[in-house]
Amino acid sequence: MGLFRILLVSFFFAATGFSQSKFIVEGKVTAKSTGKPLTDVKVVVTALGIGTYTNEKGWYALELPAGNHEISFRLLGYESQTTRIQVQGNTKIHVSLEVDPEVLEMDEVEVFAKGKDANIRDNQVGTVKLDIEQLKVLPAFMGEVDVIKTLQLMPGVSSAAEGTQGFYVRGGGPDQNLVLLDGVHVYNATHLFGFFSVFNVDAIKSAELTKGGIPAQYGGRLSSVLDIGMKEGSMEEFGAKGGIGLISSRLTLEGPFQKDKGSFVISGRRTYIDVITKPFIPSDGAFSGTSYFFFDVNAKLTYKLTDKDRLTFSSYYGKDAFNFVTGAEDFSVQMPWGNAVASMRWDHIFSDKHLMTWRISATDYDFSFGSQQDDFSFGLSSGIRDYSSALEFNYKFSPRYKIKYGAEYILHRFTPFSVSANQNDVVFDVGEAQRIFGHESAIFFQNEFEWTENLSINAGLRYSMYHHVGPFTRYFPTAVGVGDSSVTFQQGELIRFYNFLEPRFSARYLINDKSSIKAGWNYNAQYVHLANLSAISLPTDIWYPSTDLAPPQRGWQATIGYFRNFFDNMLETSVELYYKSMNNVVEFQDGALPQDNVNDNTDNLLTFGLGTSFGAEFFVRKTVGKLTGWVGYTWSKTERRFDDIMDGEWFPAKYDRRHDLTIVASYKLSERWVFGTSFVYASGNTMTLPVTWYLHNGDVVFEYGPRNAARMPDYHRLDLSATWYDKPTKMVVDPSSESGETMSVKKRFRSNVNFSIFNVYSRQNPFFLYVSNQGSLAENNFSLSLRQVALFPILPSITWNFEF
Amino acid sequence: MEFRILTYRLAFFLSLVTLLQSCSKEVFIELDGHEDRLVIDGRIETGLPPVVILSISQDLYASTDVNALLNSFVSGATVSVSDGTQSVVLDEICANNVPPGLEEVFAAFFGVDPSELAGLDICLYSTANTAIFGEVGKSYTLTVVYDGVTYEGSTSLQPPHYFDSLYWKEDLNVLDNGLSWVTFTDPAGQRDFYFWECRRINLNADGEPLDAFFRPTFNPAFDDTFFDGLTFDFAYENPHNFNTETPFEERGFFQRGDTVVIKFSKLDEVSYQFLERKHIQMQNGGPNPFAAPINIPSNMSNGALGGFIGYSPIFDTLICQ
Repeated sequence: MGLFRILLVSFFFAATGFSQSKFIVEGKVTAKSTGKPLTDVKVVVTALGIGTYTNEKGWYALELPAGNHEISFRLLGYESQTTRIQVQGNTKIHVSLEVDPEVLEMDEVEVFAKGKDANIRDNQVGTVKLDIEQLKVLPAFMGEVDVIKTLQLMPGVSSAAEGTQGFYVRGGGPDQNLVLLDGVHVYNATHLFGFFSVFNVDAIKSAELTKGGIPAQYGGRLSSVLDIGMKEGSMEEFGAKGGIGLISSRLTLEGPFQKDKGSFVISGRRTYIDVITKPFIPSDGAFSGTSYFFFDVNAKLTYKLTDKDRLTFSSYYGKDAFNFVTGAEDFSVQMPWGNAVASMRWDHIFSDKHLMTWRISATDYDFSFGSQQDDFSFGLSSGIRDYSSALEFNYKFSPRYKIKYGAEYILHRFTPFSVSANQNDVVFDVGEAQRIFGHESAIFFQNEFEWTENLSINAGLRYSMYHHVGPFTRYFPTAVGVGDSSVTFQQGELIRFYNFLEPRFSARYLINDKSSIKAGWNYNAQYVHLANLSAISLPTDIWYPSTDLAPPQRGWQATIGYFRNFFDNMLETSVELYYKSMNNVVEFQDGALPQDNVNDNTDNLLTFGLGTSFGAEFFVRKTVGKLTGWVGYTWSKTERRFDDIMDGEWFPAKYDRRHDLTIVASYKLSERWVFGTSFVYASGNTMTLPVTWYLHNGDVVFEYGPRNAARMPDYHRLDLSATWYDKPTKMVVDPSSESGETMSVKKRFRSNVNFSIFNVYSRQNPFFLYVSNQGSLAENNFSLSLRQVALFPILPSITWNFEF
Repeated sequence: MEFRILTYRLAFFLSLVTLLQSCSKEVFIELDGHEDRLVIDGRIETGLPPVVILSISQDLYASTDVNALLNSFVSGATVSVSDGTQSVVLDEICANNVPPGLEEVFAAFFGVDPSELAGLDICLYSTANTAIFGEVGKSYTLTVVYDGVTYEGSTSLQPPHYFDSLYWKEDLNVLDNGLSWVTFTDPAGQRDFYFWECRRINLNADGEPLDAFFRPTFNPAFDDTFFDGLTFDFAYENPHNFNTETPFEERGFFQRGDTVVIKFSKLDEVSYQFLERKHIQMQNGGPNPFAAPINIPSNMSNGALGGFIGYSPIFDTLICQ
């Protein structure tokens, strides 16, 4: 097999390419103030033109010849440090960098905090890395800084519209994104029907999106990986930060529970839309008692067992709660939903070359709906619960050759549909709760090496397996009057087994120090599906795993990109082309209704088909100076085909978006003021609309046109922001001065105020279209019209943020 | 029917849609896919003749004035109904020339008061031949030949089913107003399909019945998937007073003193599927982006829209006291 050959050859070259006349210089770079490892510190020996970056654990390694060398350590926001060393053998150099006093926290508005030429040198193609702190000066919807909304400003990433759930990457559905919080799956990553993400920026350390060339350690999704890392508390000192906004407030506390050994961080956020709107809802009105709020809490404990062992416990709990009450009809609805995530991670260092990470975790997503009217009550719930464990090893043969290998296991328990209904003592037959159990597992091997100074190759292989097991009842719908038949499987009984080999490959060829070409190819399998009935994604959408009737989604993606920097890396540019092919993407069959789910298997209502997406992404970014920002443009085409829909013809996907343009800029006027702006233009979304109407028994009835054949008006929006910072220093009496002289010291309590204006020119962007029929035929004033609903006009907001 | 809460998404999101629609504007976008298709609006009911109206479907952007609507009705087709043993060709009968005794049936079909029939310039297909009037237990096939194309569809009249009892219950919040309630036992071991309509027959100030004809309620079509063989109570609202003349809090209620005739029909499956989806679409206030884009399945062949629906009703009278 070609792939094995590549792996063997690469291993051979990497192992033999290590010269005996060279030695390994390695070490860890930390922040002096917090003791935390620093990622993406540029470590360079300028005289030799050799350099590298620290990894997520702050580690670096260089291969240097014997002799005297000067090594420089550089990271934006920190004072650079240069160390002179004599290399006579393998050497360890640990470094602590100090924060640059000249640099405010928001010194430069960069989404990328990596080294200045990292976009050229990185092996990975199609990767976006966000710097969480630096997001905060960009315009924010209702003052809520949002990781996913910022990602949507990058090429190849989009939201279908405000109010829709999830994000779409290169024509993939929202279920095709692997969203990880500290390595644990998060199934529904949004609050308030998609307006806000579940990720509280104060609780997040890092966010990285991989949209092409997905490495082998990641699996289970076709389109992308969004890896969110939760912040760790300081091991040195206590601190707090928070913010008070128009609709929500947040507070984060952190500090050591054992100095230099253990730390904690806890972060909470709650909206008060319910409190704000309550005075405007008459207590005797039709909607009295109607309310909505969400909250979430992140917590993380870190403990150094030894110099080589570290334990981390992290958790997330978030809930949305919607209540709807109409007093006159005595009708009420309760609709809570949310995620709960918990994990324990053990990092162990066997040696400087060999690291291990073991994680056990659980994730839970629940949606429920309850309704009461008179004597009737009705309940519905759906949810997912996963228990998982993952073991990952990193082994470094040389600075130019590293491998990752490991295994992963997930026990899935899906409850796609559980219903209860009764009228007083009469219990209606709404069937058994659907429960589906599956074992998902994988082993992987990822090979990262620099073949030559210019050519770097990552090649990996993942072998994934899925067992659909009992207990399970399979229903076989039959003709009316005959009665449905069913087969019941016992606990643990194997119903269906799937397995796939998933090769992953990416490469970078450095043309010169200003430009490179990167390419990637990956094949992925996905064992869970998200099925929705409506044109708009909602929390009610059903997650459904692979079963005997629901085959796994499979797909491959090829990506190639050209990267070129100008003006000493001040201007970064890139062009990426991609083609994605998908099998077994899922849709509900034509005519399926929610209630059809009762006493049946959801997959009896699903249909499986093909999908393709291809496009070109153009990106220009200015990284240095008072004015920074980027322009991104994506041209893409995404289609689907199902045998059971439209006679097997290809049709545009819901996520098909031909043009997508984003402009993001930030201007630092002074140390106290930073201004930001973003502009978005996108082709309208597709949707299925009625094209025909007719009369039946005096009623107007509509006939829908081809699937997703209508396209909404274009979307565009301009947002602005201004952030004001208080003075970073204050004058105090110098205690060492006998004459009472004053001196400038850094203030412990810092604050800033962010002013944002969302949708500056109040564009009425389409949320959805609908057909309105007014008047009556009998009175000869009947009319039909196509109408557009827009959600948000111009929305100013203000948020006060503090930290001490 | 209280099982409307099973469409839980709609119960909640309909309110959201209503709220959102307040910030809407008219737009014009390109809509592809319309083609003129024959619409067959046919029905047969126990003890009544088959009635069929033919028309041509309209583009969404087409004119909706009366003349355009009248022009959409189809004349000159050959329409016949067969019960398997005999076939009867239906006559083309115009609204201003309805055979005596059938005014109410025709008026209900056109959705107007019987007194307004004479002013309508619409024709339909029916017959006075009692040999083809609806009979329980029979299947009927409708054949329409129009413009050289033959369209065919069948329905059947199921054995009717009666309530255990019918009563009115005053609402806790709105004095002298309440819903119609029924105690009902579903036959066990078989799939049953039902359709609920009602009409108030107490007289208004002009001495006319409050409602000229039967009107279906919200979610009037339901089946016994969830309550096969059970005995239970359920309620239905008054569909006739959802208008601006009725105070908001009284809409959907019958008032103390109303006399209500309930028309409760059994359907066959094809009729049920047509009516269920039609009324889901109507309940959504037309095509609703929060709901699935569902086209209404027709039981007529060759791409015709509409359907041939068989009703097997019982009638019961409720005095709201």
